[in-house]
Amino acid sequence: MKNFLFLLIVFLLNQQNSFALFSQDREIKIYKNIRCLACQGQSLNDSNSDFANDLKKVIKEKLNNNETDQEIYTYLTARYGDWILFDPPVKKSTLLLWFFPVFILVIGIFILYKRTVFEKSKLS
Amino acid sequence: MTSNIGFVSIVISCILSLFIIILFFKHVLFGGPLHSKFFALYKASFFLIAASFVLLVISFIISDFSIVAVYENSHTDKPFFYKFAGTWGNHEGSMLLFILIISLYGYLFLLFSKQLNFPLRFTTIFFQTSLQFAFLLFLIFTSNPFEKIFPIPNQGLGLNPILQDPLLVLHPPFLYLGYVGFSLVFSLLLGGLICNYYNQSWAAIAKRWIFLPWTFLTFGIGLGSFWAYYELGWGGYWFWDPVENASLMPWIASTALIHSVLVMDKTKKLYNWTAILTILTFVLSLFGTFLVRSGILNSVHAFANDPERGLYILFIISLITFSALVIYILKSPKQTEGESGFVLFSREFSIAANNYLLIFALTVVTIGTTYPILLSVFTGESISVGPQYYNTILAPFVFIFLIVMAIGPYMKWSKNSFAVSKNKLIAFLISSLIVTILASLLLKNQNFIFILGVLCSLYLIISVLYEFAYFKNIKLKQFNFPRVFSHAGFGFLILAITLHYFFSKEFTAKIPLGESVTYKEFVIKFSNYFSKEDKNYQELTGEYEIQKNGEKIVLKPSIRRYSQPQQFTSETSIRGEWLSDMYIAMDYTSDTSDGIGIRFYHNYSIRLIWLSYILIAIGGLLSFMRRKNEQ
Repeated sequence: MKNFLFLLIVFLLNQQNSFALFSQDREIKIYKNIRCLACQGQSLNDSNSDFANDLKKVIKEKLNNNETDQEIYTYLTARYGDWILFDPPVKKSTLLLWFFPVFILVIGIFILYKRTVFEKSKLS
Repeated sequence: MTSNIGFVSIVISCILSLFIIILFFKHVLFGGPLHSKFFALYKASFFLIAASFVLLVISFIISDFSIVAVYENSHTDKPFFYKFAGTWGNHEGSMLLFILIISLYGYLFLLFSKQLNFPLRFTTIFFQTSLQFAFLLFLIFTSNPFEKIFPIPNQGLGLNPILQDPLLVLHPPFLYLGYVGFSLVFSLLLGGLICNYYNQSWAAIAKRWIFLPWTFLTFGIGLGSFWAYYELGWGGYWFWDPVENASLMPWIASTALIHSVLVMDKTKKLYNWTAILTILTFVLSLFGTFLVRSGILNSVHAFANDPERGLYILFIISLITFSALVIYILKSPKQTEGESGFVLFSREFSIAANNYLLIFALTVVTIGTTYPILLSVFTGESISVGPQYYNTILAPFVFIFLIVMAIGPYMKWSKNSFAVSKNKLIAFLISSLIVTILASLLLKNQNFIFILGVLCSLYLIISVLYEFAYFKNIKLKQFNFPRVFSHAGFGFLILAITLHYFFSKEFTAKIPLGESVTYKEFVIKFSNYFSKEDKNYQELTGEYEIQKNGEKIVLKPSIRRYSQPQQFTSETSIRGEWLSDMYIAMDYTSDTSDGIGIRFYHNYSIRLIWLSYILIAIGGLLSFMRRKNEQ
């Protein structure tokens, strides 16, 4: 058992470099996060429209200039608004969107904790 | 002529419903026996609705263009199949189907509840009638499916081509049989509360009325997902589109309900929680209808955009929710503290834990769907909430959910049974870890989320398979097949989604005729094209040769131009193998000078996703049948 756990830890430590969550081609990941404004609910990645192709060129250029994802998103939202991003940014007007579910979860854990006893005999 | 008869039968049914409501109040307020024809009247109201629905179907089949709904949504050139299914491919027809199903469930309840407590039976029918009445009024005053047009047009406008697919016959009725079906357990709850019959035996009765619509809803959602995959041409099985979410919300709530009603049945706990979930499930079903029908959303499902209808539905929902909550608050049973507590590591503890996780998931889906609408109403700001939001916020909890799902069935009711099952649970962990590590090395993917996803879903699958392998030791009759199917299905679903997420490849390109493009290990050549004409569309089919590691296959996607109404659709071409699908869809463009755009997807474990849907739904079906045998 101990040997097994040891092997597991070694295995996991070796993975450290790849701990980046949801790794994907960076370019496609960005395309998928951007709404094609000329289409119906499609992302840039799913579209061949002129709008999508032009915007892809712009983004590719920015990637070649070593701009970060954040810089690219800032550039896009400054022009088209937050509507263009599928992944809503965390800011004042989206606080509830991101944190209300967490609030519900915490309440759930609290209720469960309050109502749980360790042994049956403890049930009044 | 048919239209007159159809409309008259709806109106008579509506009057009968009102009459049933009056009879109920007369009995309750002034005493005296309940009218002897109370149930017969309800059955009559059901048959009238059914008759008018059949008449509407006939009007669609014979293309009776004197009816607006037929004129706007049908065409003589359409194949018979779509004339028939077109009945519910529009707002008016689908609302009539909606009411028919409310009424059908009431009718089924009457047929199968003869041995039940009499007051509970007629009070339930009273509530079911009230629901039916509210929606009949809505139908008659805002969406009469038999509305006439004069002069009678020679030809109809045709059905939205995206809907012209064989699955139109199954997907909408299944969804409705699902979420409208929750109306019955909702009525049963209110009946139980009013008659002071909301107790353990209520749970035993209610179970089957939850399993049945749940099974339909699961199938309906699965069919929708499958349909979207090959019809929309976006390459995926789930898009977190608001309309998909509208059906997912009642599904999550009812999944929680299924489990809490079991706890109520076995341990007399969670009375209040079950009541709240019952109300929530039905209200969310109605809310989904509101989202889709009000025209707030822009989607393939929103075929009628009329704010007035939206307001009326919103009014009905508020009224129903408000009345239900008032009844619940006045009549909910009091519980002592002992009855509401859980023993750590008991069966009901794990069910309660996962119930909270389901509520969390429900909150995420609900808020993600409604937040952009509310934000734009109140601040004018528009934001998008896409798959990234749901993936980020839900993924970590799915893993915990899977583990609890695996451990739960190894716990005993009302007993801390961790010590008893500890060894098994550890053995599952070790075996799933070994498989995960092997998979990770073999597939050369060491992403943390990937490993967690595979590990947790394997843990669940192995725990279920173990039970399955050792079931000889218990009697066949006692073995919980429904749970085994549904839980294994869910384990496979998450496994398939994880594999799909990490191994699928996709790209878009514009390819001129005769040219080819290379993407990773794929070479795609646009080798040829041809066109043909069919009854109601023209079609341009492309031939694409795909080479992958020396193997060559040909895919033939196409673009169709429908004549009635004038609209383009893209027909995908999919080559399925055991583990993966190759998938091509063409774009419709008028300018082909720089080639035709294609979207290419190499999708992993899609078939496992379809299989999981089926397993989960089979579990529901088995539960329904099992409960039936017990009685």
